[in-house]
Amino acid sequence: MEHQRSYIYTPPESDERPAKRQKTDKGHPHSLRRERLQTFREIWAEQETRIQACLKTTLEEADEATQENIVRFVAAAAERDQELRASIPTGLIVAGPSIASHGPYFERLGRQVKESTNSAYLVLTSGESPNLKTLLKNLIKKATSLADDDDDDDLGRTTGPSRNGPRLLDFDLGHLQKWQRSINYRTIVVAIQDSEAFDSHVLSELIDLLHAWLDRLPFVLLFGIATSAESFEDRLSSNALRYLEGEKFDVTQSDEIIEELFSTTIASTDVALRVGPNISRRILDRQKDHVQNVQDFFDGLKYAYMSHFYANLTSIFLRDDLAVKNLPPDVFEAVRNLPSFRRWVGGMLEDGRAQDARNALQSDKYLFDQVTQNVTSGQAILNAISGAALVLTRLRQSLQISQKVPLSSIWIKAASGEMLNSPMLREMMLSVKRMSSDKFLQLLGSLQDLEQTYFPIDLDSYQSKLDVMISENDGAVLKTQHDVRNDTLRTTVVAQKVLLSKHKAALSEQDKAYSELVAQFQDELDQYFNTTFIDPKELFLIEILMYDLKSPHTEVFQPKPRFAVERALAAPHDYLGCECCSGEGTRDGEAALFSTQPATAILYQLYVESGSVINAADLWSAFNAMAGGEEEDDESKTMALFQRALAELRYLGLVKPSRKKTDHVAKMMWKGL
Amino acid sequence: MVSAKRKRDDEAENATPRKLRAREPDKDNVEEVLEIETPSRRARARQIEAEEGTPKSILKKTSAFDGINGTTPKSKRKLLFTTPSKTTNHETSNGTPTLVRSANRSARRKSNRKLIERTINGADSDDEALDEEEELAEQILSDEDEEEDAVAGAEQEIALVPDTPSKRGRGRPRGSGRPRKQRSPTPPQDLPAHEEYFWQNRPAGNKTSNNTLSAQTLLNHDEYFETMQSYQDRHGSEMEFLLELHSRAYDQWLFELEEGFNICLYGYGSKRPITEAFTAHLYEDLLCRVPYKGTKKTPKIVIINGYSPGSTVKEILTTVASAVVPGNFKLPNQPASLLAYLLQYLSDHPPSHAIHVVINSIDSTYLRKSPAPNMLAALAAQSSINLICTADTPNFPLLWDVGLKAQYKFLFHDATTFAPYDAEIDVVETVNELLGRSGRRVGGRDGVGFVLRSLPENARSLFRILVSEQLAMMYEDGGQFDQDDVTATPRNKKITATKPTSESTQGVEYRVLYHKAVEEFVCSSEVGFRTLLKEFHDHQMIESRKDTMGTERLWVPFRQEELESLVEELSGELF
Repeated sequence: MEHQRSYIYTPPESDERPAKRQKTDKGHPHSLRRERLQTFREIWAEQETRIQACLKTTLEEADEATQENIVRFVAAAAERDQELRASIPTGLIVAGPSIASHGPYFERLGRQVKESTNSAYLVLTSGESPNLKTLLKNLIKKATSLADDDDDDDLGRTTGPSRNGPRLLDFDLGHLQKWQRSINYRTIVVAIQDSEAFDSHVLSELIDLLHAWLDRLPFVLLFGIATSAESFEDRLSSNALRYLEGEKFDVTQSDEIIEELFSTTIASTDVALRVGPNISRRILDRQKDHVQNVQDFFDGLKYAYMSHFYANLTSIFLRDDLAVKNLPPDVFEAVRNLPSFRRWVGGMLEDGRAQDARNALQSDKYLFDQVTQNVTSGQAILNAISGAALVLTRLRQSLQISQKVPLSSIWIKAASGEMLNSPMLREMMLSVKRMSSDKFLQLLGSLQDLEQTYFPIDLDSYQSKLDVMISENDGAVLKTQHDVRNDTLRTTVVAQKVLLSKHKAALSEQDKAYSELVAQFQDELDQYFNTTFIDPKELFLIEILMYDLKSPHTEVFQPKPRFAVERALAAPHDYLGCECCSGEGTRDGEAALFSTQPATAILYQLYVESGSVINAADLWSAFNAMAGGEEEDDESKTMALFQRALAELRYLGLVKPSRKKTDHVAKMMWKGL
Repeated sequence: MVSAKRKRDDEAENATPRKLRAREPDKDNVEEVLEIETPSRRARARQIEAEEGTPKSILKKTSAFDGINGTTPKSKRKLLFTTPSKTTNHETSNGTPTLVRSANRSARRKSNRKLIERTINGADSDDEALDEEEELAEQILSDEDEEEDAVAGAEQEIALVPDTPSKRGRGRPRGSGRPRKQRSPTPPQDLPAHEEYFWQNRPAGNKTSNNTLSAQTLLNHDEYFETMQSYQDRHGSEMEFLLELHSRAYDQWLFELEEGFNICLYGYGSKRPITEAFTAHLYEDLLCRVPYKGTKKTPKIVIINGYSPGSTVKEILTTVASAVVPGNFKLPNQPASLLAYLLQYLSDHPPSHAIHVVINSIDSTYLRKSPAPNMLAALAAQSSINLICTADTPNFPLLWDVGLKAQYKFLFHDATTFAPYDAEIDVVETVNELLGRSGRRVGGRDGVGFVLRSLPENARSLFRILVSEQLAMMYEDGGQFDQDDVTATPRNKKITATKPTSESTQGVEYRVLYHKAVEEFVCSSEVGFRTLLKEFHDHQMIESRKDTMGTERLWVPFRQEELESLVEELSGELF
């Protein structure tokens, strides 16, 4: 089986089968897994619908606008008289630097184009178009396979041309013409998905050629551009440019979409399970640095949810329909082992509530009630934090504080408990103190649509008071006593020295009243933030409410396979954990060589120590001295191991043949680089 | 250049008045000691170091051993300095940074000149002014000497100083140049990775010995398998444990697959045992589910061994299609259209559960080339396909750009097993190829003889011509070597030859061979010639390659000795 290239699995025929099935059926060490996974599916489904809705509104809306434009553009191109075409209608789609999202985008676009116009839609990528010939071949292949029932035609075509003229080469656009004649599309849309990756000569030649065929084939070109339309233009020959009639389409950049997604998922005010600040930061950084892909954000979030419910027994408490009798005792044991539980009980003892503490430790029923209560209240607290982060973002926007901070970073800061006493918050409060009445109005307006549940300040009363004040002041702008515009600078000359002094202008009655109103607002706001921005890590049962573990998440999405292989070979003990190769007497950090280590590990360490070209004979003698046994007849065994180890190094791509000298191999990788 | 400098130094020395000599007898003595004693002392010190060196690394020991034999394998650079051979001395003689050296020399010369002037003029008037400068110069000189003092150390050896210090003047004392580097025989330890790279790639850092593995040392297939069959890995139980550890994650992986992710396993060791066990687990799991429970139907899990030679995307797609599409459908022939068809079919007829595709070694050489990753990614992106794959090479993520990665939707798991790559690698073949001995593949010389015996006489003649032509070229290139030294295979004999010959002269040119063959009436047409060659190719007895000029070259992949005996045998048979 192992040497067969591919096959359908058939289980080996053995007697063990029933035993195995038993093992999977019952006796799971992890109790309630099914229930937990069920909970995961429910809770995730909520998130998913939210994400889909968000994507619909932001992404699709943004997409739709541009896509509609493009479709209209294609349709308009179809309207034109074929004979009179002087240049190829060309859409320049500036889709931003996130190449990963280009593929899906062009796919969606293709669907749209095919639906709304009678066009053929052919996508070309750089990978399949190294030169013009292959590009054309692929183009023709794609076009002709579009018509599924073309298979029979295939046979006919090869014989066909002999009747009327010479046989066409397989990259001749004549094929396309024939195909077009039979199907008669209004336009043939050729989409170049990653124009930057194409050779510019190939592009120019392609444009030349398509233009030459334009009187017979109604081409429309679409270019996906990651940089800018200008730099795309620079890459084409001026000749080719003359054949194009371009129109530019801007696609919404994915970082805006991600920000939007973040606020609806992680930073939402209504989530059962929170994803913690560390993971959120990781997901965002990954977006920024590597992928820029909505799908990836989605996956990262989903995996965090999956991990929480899969590995955490206590996550079952996020279910609504729980009853004590349905829960096995180990769930309560697990709760009692949570660090936050210990803190909580410790707090009870400090308060002198010894009976409560005893109950919590002994009575499952009591604990159950407490946990369910606290889960609900904890969720509310976390939701409030998200709400406050949103309020803060809105305030900053309406106060027009110059340094733009997105909601995501404000939320992360708040969720890690660093928001109180942060310069960001202080700066914002100062500007609130100073704001004039017009800004105040704006501010109240921007907060209007927030949910009152998490925002206790009565905006309406402020609004009405402010309205009265402004009307009393004949509609003029009111200022507070802290407003800089109330300050004047006065210079006085005393004993030949110029003194610069600040003076507050006298405040009018209205301004005074307004100042008081603002001060009151500021106080309330301050109190609100102070009570809301607590450190979530201190919460009881935070382990249930928030998932913030770095461990499986990072490795699963950003693996370091090279490091893993190098570590396995340089320090096999780390993996094997055997007695014989443990690092007795090694300098810390550096792995040591032991004759008991696996052969490949020994050879690898010899390899690491050697230069860029290695003499295999010397390597062998070193290896033999290290791993070889005492007796003579052991040598063939050692040699076999040596050969196997060397072959493995070759297989892993660590060495390659060297022509420099006889029996030499070249080193390909340096450890740790 | 060195000699010129020495001459100048000599002049300076000759001009030195005795007075100066008398003033610095100690210094001269010490330097003399240095010059005479150092090499042996150093050698002894080295010897000790070589013996006492960290016992952990056998490298040092073996290379020390080699070094004593005079065949320093420079690649193991720990050894480089332990040889008291000529190279070291050579390095010493021009070791000093020129700047320092010339500065010192000019200071010495200056002070000499001053002294001469003083003795000639006899004037004391400018004594004070001179003193300052002289002191400075002397200080420079004595600084240098102190350094040497410190190095030379042992007092009792001063007694052995010969009485003629005048001889000492020839050039700079030997030990004074580049003192520190010389004195540490071990290469720098614990370098950061990048520094290590530059250290190992430094110019002249790559001297290796000319040792070769004798043909008997390497095992052939039979020997290898025979030996390996009786071999028991001492870490068997630990490897079992690793597998057991991984097996605990099977349920997690199932869950992940179910949620629409694909899985990629990486890490050292063959991961086939894992995929095998996981597939069994998956199979059992599926059997207990709805469409199969209580029925005779069995789930279809596609297994693909990417490492087996000749794996193609087409084959993968066909196998997947056979699991997905009922047999009575006609499938497109081209991989691209087959893929399109498959994806279309899956989205039109979504199966009751995802189709599981297990690919062992997705990063194998056969699946690396251009359309394969793209098509596999497209397949993996289809929601009804669950992909479980393994990757062996350490740098496999480089195969996929962001776009492909997004399509693959992989979750990566470290699945280090330490299991041998039994199925993935043909050990003997790989090593032979690595060392340029692919000729052994036919079963060595005997195998070739066997094949030749079964071929017509014309073929044998052609082979003889080829071998003797090749040998003739070898003699031409490597003639000046001792017979023993010329062990190079034709493939890399160019480098061992002293005159720089280009790679293009490897092997015999196709045209030349053809004409020779025609001359000797082996064949009469190129078609015939080709037919004969094809037979050789089929038995892997010859190799061919196009050189830089585009001319085809042919050679027999054997070493010289083997070729020689081949020719003997062939001639013996024929005449």
